[in-house]
Order: sequence, then structure tokens, then C-alpha cells
Amino acid sequence: MAAPTPPPPDPQFVLRGAHSAVHALHFCAGAEGHPLLLSGSLRGLVHIWSLQTRRPLAALDGHGGQCVTWLHTLPRGPQLLSQGRDLQLCVWDLAEGRNAVVDAVRLESMGFCRASILADGPQRWMVAVPGRGNDEVQVLELPSKTLVSCLKPEAGARLGMPMCLQLWQAASSSRPSLLAGYEDGSLALWDVSTRKVCSRVACHSEPVMGLALDPWRARGVSGSAEKALAVWSLEGQQALQVRGTHELTNPGIADVKIRPDSKILATAGWDHRVRVFQWRTMRPLAVLAFHSATIHCVAFDTAGLLAAGSGDQRISVWSLYPPT
Amino acid sequence: MAVFDTPEEAFGVLRPVCVQLTKTQTVENVERLQARLQAVSDSALQELQQYILFPLRFTLKTPGPKRERLIQSVVECITFVLSSTCIREQDLLQELFSELSACLYSPGSRKPAAVSEELKLAVIRGLSTLMHSAYGDILLTFYEPSILPRLGFAVSLLLGLAEQEKSKEIKMAALTCLQVLLFQCDCQDHPRALDELQQKQLGDLFASFLPGLSTTLTRVITADFKQGHRIVLSSLKVFYETVSFIMADDQLGRVSEVPARPAVERRVAELMVHREANWVKNTGDKLTILIKKITECISVHPHWKVRLELIDFVEALLLKCSRSLIESAGPLLKALVSLVNDESPDVQAQCDKALRRFADEKVVVGSRAFADVLSENLHSLATSLPRLMSSQDDQGRFSTLSLLLGYLKLLGPKVDFVLNSVAHLQRLSKALIQVLELDVADVKIVEERRWNSEHLSTSPETPAARPWAQMQRRYFRFFTDERVFLLLRQVCQLLGFYGDLYLLVDHFMELYHESVVYRKQAAMILNELVVGAAGLGVENLHEKHTPADPEELREIVTSILEVYTSQENWYLVTCVETEDVGEELTMKWAGLQALTSGVHTCQPTSSPAFSKPSPTVCSMNSNIWQICIQLEGIGHFAHALGKDFRLLLMSALYPVLEKAGDQTLLISQAAIGTMTDICQACGYDSLQHLINENSDYLVNGISLNLRHLSLHPHTPKVLEVMLQNSDASLLPLVADVVQDVLATLDQIYDKRAATFVSVLHALMAALAQWFPDAGHLGQLQEQSIGEEGSPWSQRPSSLEKGLENPTTAEDIEQFVLNYLKEKDVAAGNVSDLDNEDEEQTDLPEVEKDDTGPHVEPPLPVQIQIATDVMERCIHLMSDKSLKIRLKADSLPAEPQGKPSSHVTTVAMESVSTGIRSTYPSSNPDSVPHVTWSRSVYLFEHLLVHL
Repeated sequence: MAAPTPPPPDPQFVLRGAHSAVHALHFCAGAEGHPLLLSGSLRGLVHIWSLQTRRPLAALDGHGGQCVTWLHTLPRGPQLLSQGRDLQLCVWDLAEGRNAVVDAVRLESMGFCRASILADGPQRWMVAVPGRGNDEVQVLELPSKTLVSCLKPEAGARLGMPMCLQLWQAASSSRPSLLAGYEDGSLALWDVSTRKVCSRVACHSEPVMGLALDPWRARGVSGSAEKALAVWSLEGQQALQVRGTHELTNPGIADVKIRPDSKILATAGWDHRVRVFQWRTMRPLAVLAFHSATIHCVAFDTAGLLAAGSGDQRISVWSLYPPT
Repeated sequence: MAVFDTPEEAFGVLRPVCVQLTKTQTVENVERLQARLQAVSDSALQELQQYILFPLRFTLKTPGPKRERLIQSVVECITFVLSSTCIREQDLLQELFSELSACLYSPGSRKPAAVSEELKLAVIRGLSTLMHSAYGDILLTFYEPSILPRLGFAVSLLLGLAEQEKSKEIKMAALTCLQVLLFQCDCQDHPRALDELQQKQLGDLFASFLPGLSTTLTRVITADFKQGHRIVLSSLKVFYETVSFIMADDQLGRVSEVPARPAVERRVAELMVHREANWVKNTGDKLTILIKKITECISVHPHWKVRLELIDFVEALLLKCSRSLIESAGPLLKALVSLVNDESPDVQAQCDKALRRFADEKVVVGSRAFADVLSENLHSLATSLPRLMSSQDDQGRFSTLSLLLGYLKLLGPKVDFVLNSVAHLQRLSKALIQVLELDVADVKIVEERRWNSEHLSTSPETPAARPWAQMQRRYFRFFTDERVFLLLRQVCQLLGFYGDLYLLVDHFMELYHESVVYRKQAAMILNELVVGAAGLGVENLHEKHTPADPEELREIVTSILEVYTSQENWYLVTCVETEDVGEELTMKWAGLQALTSGVHTCQPTSSPAFSKPSPTVCSMNSNIWQICIQLEGIGHFAHALGKDFRLLLMSALYPVLEKAGDQTLLISQAAIGTMTDICQACGYDSLQHLINENSDYLVNGISLNLRHLSLHPHTPKVLEVMLQNSDASLLPLVADVVQDVLATLDQIYDKRAATFVSVLHALMAALAQWFPDAGHLGQLQEQSIGEEGSPWSQRPSSLEKGLENPTTAEDIEQFVLNYLKEKDVAAGNVSDLDNEDEEQTDLPEVEKDDTGPHVEPPLPVQIQIATDVMERCIHLMSDKSLKIRLKADSLPAEPQGKPSSHVTTVAMESVSTGIRSTYPSSNPDSVPHVTWSRSVYLFEHLLVHL
């Protein structure tokens, strides 16, 4: 008798109670080392979930009922950044059970573009957000909120709106760079200090919805509204080069994330599925079918857990290929 | 009545009688003397002591045959004098001692003379009084080496009397006198505190008697129980006092290698014993044989006072002679621990005290040798345990296990050290596993069924003082007595308390996995280990030992729980599946009965049930018990962890709830017991509270398991139970999971629809109960929002919107009109339905409301759910199976108690649309007759309850 094929993987558990579509996810370490998961919902609430009890600990209401699109905890101190479509980037103080907005940055653009953060020093952070006008990206310094630079494509480039951002700084370089995916499907590498585009490639024919960068291999991946993932590399931190594309069954990728150990890659699909690839070879590993609506975001925690937030108001948490 | 106070006066009175007695030695004269003595004061008597004694001693010493009666009265008279006076000279003491002891033996023979009992008694008392009347230092000098022959003679004489006499009085007197002679008398007059040198002297002296003394006393002790407990008591006392004195570690430690040359004649020197190492070894060996005999005999002595004395016996020997009698430690400890569960509470208490003392003084823990002895005992007991358990009666088993328990108690933290030896652990675990084997041949276990699913009781029964101690009645192969099982549980708990929990759990987990034969027992043991590790029900003798760290315990419990609830250990075949189609069912029933008749021949330890195509009754019984044991274990774990167990509910609650709905009575009982345990341990007021508070965990399990329905066929049952036990605050969660249910149902209409329909039934009932009508809804809403504890108190706004929107009565009116029209068309087909009258009277009650909104806002969540469910039901009403059809029918009829239910009203609408769309009125003939009438019947049913 042949061994039966293993059943498709199940989520380890599912978090219910967001009460609206989940648009942002972020793992962080809570008090006493218990991991937390933060989720941002369509109705403007940020839920803090305890992964130990699998229950919400708190719901933060600071975006006036508008969709929360991006969440990030500051590397130092229990502070949370949340970006909402109410044109606010809120800074929350979460220390000792406090849940209060301590600062807010007024955003200029209403788009879907998620912010990106880079820790510049122990007390200084740099945040890239969509800027004024249709095609601009602003880089701000926190907590001073001063404008570091304003990255505007040269006239006539017709890139469209920025759709996704990734700030990073190579270990060898002292100058931060920004990767931005644009509405026209192209990807641009900006030098933040000189405000110049170092390189630009057209990876997709549809807007770039999400990108992820593996700084160790100097390679990254992006997904768009079309039926393909693009893998590209950064040659000498300067030149972007498309390495290949990977065909998908269904069109539409809302988010891509690489696990912190650079082993696997997960995509959030409009087809209600999370796809998992081996990052080095782009070999497909699993198709995670659980949700009954578009998946808006995926997130990895350092221990290897994968979370997916979907329009069906659930967050599924998966434990796959545990890192050794 | 001391008349004569001064020696002069007394002398005057006594002189004539003394002279008279010296001349003619008759009983009368002695009696006359004694009568006179009564009237003399003690001080005067003391002065005249020698003078008075002279004629008496002269009488004794006079050669030639004497009448016993005379000797007896002389001895009594001497005794009288001695009892009132003191002896101040050593010579007198020695002489009197010899003269008195000489009264009892016939010259030339070493045996006691055949004299009357009265005389024997008189002499014994005389000796006793003599020893008491001696002055402290005089008495000590009496015990010099030169006295050895005479003392030895007296000792053997007394021993002989104690052993061979018939009269209890004489025996007792002889034993008491022995105590006096051997310096064990506990009366006030005797000097007690001896210095080291004196102790050594006495010890050297008495050592010569040890062989004779110990063997004779052993014979006395182990003689017939009928001889009376006081004799045994005294003999025991003499035995242990003497042995513990002569063999005392303190004394032996000071004995030099080279014997000191005592200044005595050679004949005496030969009798002297030098207590050097070799002698100690040999004597110890011989004593061990005797001690073993004694402990074996006495630990089952019928009189409790004797057993009580045995505790002192053990205590004295173990505490004073732990080195010299190391060989005897085994039998001694065995005797002690076997009394732990004695039937007499006094003995129990004393034994407990002794054990505590041993533990406190670290006799065992502090000494490697003792621990070795104990672990050796434990090992051999574990080896023979299975044999003993199968051959002994319940009383015997009880005492064997008491013994095991006692060893463990005494070893305390050293258990760990014993268990680290693989051989020991193996022996012990195998023994426990064998002993705990269940009898699974009983057919009733499978037969007893729970047919109707009652509601869970509203609150847990009154909490017991020791909830982890309650359990279902088990039937074991090797014993029937509950007490035996209780002891076994205590043994396991102690192991868990003192042992290395990781090691033990690992080991028993291995056994659990090793074979299905061991599985149930291993699970039972694991359960008790955890209870013990948490320190529940364990009486700690070793104060420094603390229960396991809660964090560690939780980890261990989590891993055990994972194994228990894993697919292959939780979902076992416990019954012949009854949800299959009819013919198959009857066939299987016949098969089951056939199996029932063959029960006696089947082996209880048959191969795993799930690997066999048709399970036997035995294997099903075995599976049932395994599940019950595991359920019970989960309850125990909850108690062990207390509130910490709440974190494990996310993985434990779902499987338990699933079993609560099991058809096998035993399993569902066990599961409900487990839930009650969890409630108590985690601080929930009732089962409802437990379920309500943890519905999110349940929903998680339900929704994941629905994805693999073939593996988890009972998932809908869990949802059913959850729905029955939750309230409106859970609506968002319910709405979420109902979508999963309906999606699953859509895929498997044919196979398991019946289970799903009952879930839907429960759902509708719950909705009707939660939302009685629009008026109450608002209140309920506020209430549930007010509940701060519930994480589900945030509600989707669609629900609130829905509240503002009452029934669209206009639609109903419209539909009713349509319905009547359709009914006319179909009249020929539905003539058998005769509730038209009722319907007629109901119709006018539908209120007209012309101002109703024309644009439909989104439906409230609960109504949306109801609508979705109804749409499914319409399909199910045409199902082949009668069972499903009936269930589908009864669905909307559920809210009977709540007329004008908001939900029902709207639901009815959806059914009506369903009917219209499924069976177009233009062509009623194309619709199957039965289905059509069912639908119409359903609709009418709804109308009645509107």
C-alpha cells in the first residue's frame, strides 16, 4: 500500500476578532519575552495579539476608522509606528501597558504605498513615506521629523505613484539607499543622500505591489498585479538587474516577505492563497489555502512563524519548515 | 503503723523472734518475724538490717533438705526487709545474690529445680528487690568481671523461666527481673546515666550473655501468639535494649583492638568477650537471622501494642546500631515501612513519627549504606511484586504495596538516585505496569451508550476536597480492592514527587509508545506522576524537598498532552460505527452479539485495534479505557497546574469537548468529569463559563478540523456542544465558523449531512435563544458589550445596523399572498395537509405596515446566518435519508417557545424565497410530490409560530 500523500498543511492557529479585513501585520517581542503579533485593520484599529494565549491584548484606535496599512515597532524601546490612510503616521508608546499616541507625522499622499524604516543609530531612525505629488518619496528622520530628502523622479519619467518602498543601508556603505516600486511596474534604486536614481529596471508590466530585499545576497523579489514574481539583484550596490521571473497560477501579489534567515519566501496572493518558495532557488514549496478572501499581507517572525492577514478578517499563523 | 521508731526499741522486739528462728527454722517462726517487722520503722529496720537478715540467711544456708514452703517464706521475708532498706556493702549484695539465685536450682544440675511456682515467683521477686535495694555505686561495683559466672547463671535461670514456665506471672516476673539485672529497669531508683567507661564495662560483661539471651528471647517472641502480648512486649523490649546496648556503635567505636587483661582468674577471663571487629561482624550476622525472624513474625502480630513496640524495636536498633547491624537494616526497615498503613491508627501515627525521625536525622539520606540497603530492598520487592500481586489475597497485596510505599517514603529524595539506575527503574516500572493491568473483558463497557445528548450540567458538582483523587471505578486483573489501587496511585505520586520527573516521564512515555499492552497502565502512571510532582496529595516527610518548578511542569504536561490527544491515541475505535446505512448496521449488530458470546475466550491483551479490520469487544473496551484514562489525566493535569492550565486549553479543550459528546457512556462521563476538573482548577464557575470563555480556541479547532472532515468526523458535534453552551456575545465568532461549516456541508451533502443538520439545528436554537425578539435585542446588546472580560465584546457595526431594521412585514404579506396563490395551484397535490384552518386563523395576525422601507439595508448577522442555513435546509429536505429529512424539518420549528421571533420571521422569508426559486409555481407538477409537500408543510409550520 502506497503511503498516502500528506494532507495540505494547516495553520498552526487562526486569530479571529479583528472584525474587519487585515491589511498590516508585524511581529514583535513583548514583555517577558512573549512574542506579540500586531495587526492593522481596514477599520483603523491596531490589534495587539499575544501569541501565547492567542488572544487580543489590546486594540489601538488612532486612525479615525481609516485603514491601517503599515506597522513597525521601533528597534529600541517599546514604540510602535503605524501608518494609516487618514494621512497619519502615528508613534505609539506601548511601554508598561500604555497605549497612547505620543507623536504623529502628517503624510502627504493617500496612496497604498507602505512606509519603510531604517535604524540609523540607536536613537535615530529614517522613514521613507510617499510624498507630495503623485510620484514623490520623502525620507524623514525620526524622532525629529525633519525632512532628509525628497526623491522625485525626473520630469518625463512617467513612473506613476510609488507603490512599495524599502530603505536599507549596505554594511559596506555609509549611505542609505531606497528601493521603490512604481505604478508602471518598474523598480528604482535611489541614493538617498544624492537624491539621484542609481538604477532602474522595468520588472513588471503592472504596478509593483510588494518587494522584499535580501541584503546578504544583494538580491530581492517583487510582486505585482500580474501573474509573475520578479527576482532581481543589485550589482555592486549600484545597478539593478533582473535575474528572472517566476510564473504564478493566478495574478495578483499583495505582499512578499523573506524570512529573516533568508531561507524561504512567502507571497500574499489575491487568489486567497499564500505561496511559499525556497528563496535561493525559487522552488515552490507550498500553497497555503485557508483564507476565503484576498490576502493583504504576510509577515515572518524571527523564530520562523509566518502570519497572513486576509480580507476574510482572519489572521492565520503557520509554522513551516522550522529554521534549524 | 510503725510502732517502733528507734533501733533500740525495735531490737528489743525483734531479738526474741530472731533467736527463736535461729534455733528452730520453721515457717511459723519466719512468719512471726515478718509480722513483727511490720511494726518496725524503715530507719530502725535499716539499722538492724544485718541482724535481721542473719537468721534468715542462716536458714537458707543450713545444709540438708528443706521444705519448699520454708524457703519460700524466708525469701519473702528477705524481700520484705530489702524492700524497706538499702544495701550498703558490696559483699552483702554479692552473697545475697548468690544465695537467692541458689534457691532455684537443684545442686549438681544446671537446670532449674522442680520447685513450686510460688517459690519461683518469690525468688524472682527477691532478686529484683535486691537489685533495687543496692546503693548506686555499690551496684556498679557489683558488675565487675568476677561476678560474671554468678550473673550469667542468674541470667540463664531467668531466661529459662521466661521460656519454659507455664505461668504468665512467672514469665513476666522473670522478664522484668532480667531487665533489672541488665540495667534496663526504668524505675526511679535505678541509676540511669552511665559514663562511657561504665557503659563499656557493662557492655563487655553483658556481651557474654548475648548469644544465649538473644536466641532464647527470639524463641519466646516468635512462640505462639496466644501466650499473651505482654510477654512478647517485654521480651521485645529486653531484646532490643540489650542488643542496642551491647552493639551500640558508640561503644564499639571505642573498643580497642587489643583486649585489656582484666585482673581476674583465668576461668572467668575465658568467659569474657572482647568486642573487636571480627566479633561484631559474626555477632551481627547471627543477630540478623534472629532479627529477621522476629520482624517477620511480629509485623503480623494480631495485637496492636506488639506492633507498636516493634516500631520502638526498629528505631532503637537502627538509630543506635546502624553500623554494627547494617546487615539487619533491610529487615528492620521492611518491618517499619510495612506498618505505615497499619490498621491501628496508633501504630500508623507512631510509624509515621519514626519515619519522620529517620528522615529528619538523615539516617537514610545522610548515609550511603542505608540508601543502598533500601534501594536493594526496593529492587527485590519490585522484582517479586508481580508474582506477589498475582498470588496473594487482597490483604497480602495491601501489605506488599504498603511496604513499597514505605520504602519510597523513607528514601525520599534518594528515590532519584535509585531511579537513575536503569535496572531499578526497569524493574519498578515493569512491576507497576503489570500490576495495573486492567480487566477489559467486560461487555458492558462497550454496550453502555449515551443516546440522547443532554445539556451539560449548569455547574460543576460541589467541589470535593481532593478532586484529583476521584475517578471512575476500574477493574483490574490482579486485584479488586480499591485500597490496593489507592496505594498504587500513592506509589506513583511519590515517585513523581521525589523522582526526576523528566526521567520518569520519558521512561513511561517510552513504554506508552512501546506496546498497546502497556499503554493504559503507562498513561495511568503518567497521570499520577504529574499529580505527585505538583505535590498534590503527597505527604512530604523530607522537609527540604520542594515540588517541581511550575514552568517545568507545564512543559512536561504540554508534551504528555500532545501525545494523548494525537491522532493515533485519541481517535480510537470504540464502537462499531452506527452512522452507516441501515442494512450494514443490522449486520454489524449481529456481529457484535456474536462477539459478545465469545468474550471469555478473547485475550484482553490483543493487538492494537486500529490495525484490525473488525475490532473485537476487548480491543474496543481497551480503547475506551485508554481514552477514559487519558481524559482523566487531562483533569489531573489541570489540577496540577491550576490557573496555568488555562494556557493549555487552546490544545486541550477541543479534544475533551469532542469526547463529551461521545456515544460511549464511560467516555462521555469521563470527559464531563475532566471538564469539571478544568473548571475547578482554572477558576471557571461552570462548564458554560468554561466553554464561553474559550470559544475562540474551540472555533479554531473546529475550523481547522473541518478541513479534514474524514479524519475528524466528530467536529460538528463539538460545534453543537459549543453552541448549546454559549451566548450572544459570541455571534461574531459563530458567524465566522458557520461559514466554514456551510462551505464544508456544500462539499459533502451525501455522506455526513446528518451530523451537520444537527449542528444547524443547534445553531438555529441558539440564535432563537440569543435574539428572542427585536425588543430584547437592544438590552442584550448592551449587556454583552458591558462584559469586559469577554474578548468578543466588540461587535461588528452591521449587527447594530441590523437592529434598527425590524422585519419587513410588507414582504411577508406579499409572500403570503403569493403563497396562497401557489397553494391553490398545487391544491390537488397537497390535499393531505389539513392544517388550513389553523393557517386561516393565523393569517389576519400579520400586521400591515405600509410605511416599511423599500430599500433593503444589509441584514443583521444573525439573520444572515439564519438565511444561509435555511437555504441549505431546503436542499436537504429532498434527501434520501428519512433521518436527515426529519431533522431538516424540525430546524425552523425550534423556536416554538418564542412566538413572533425576529429571527424566525426573517428566516421564514428566506425559506419562502427558497421555495419559490426551487419550485417555480408555473410548473408544480415537475416537483416531486413528497418534497413539495414537505416544503409547504415547513412553511406552514413557520406561519403557525409567527
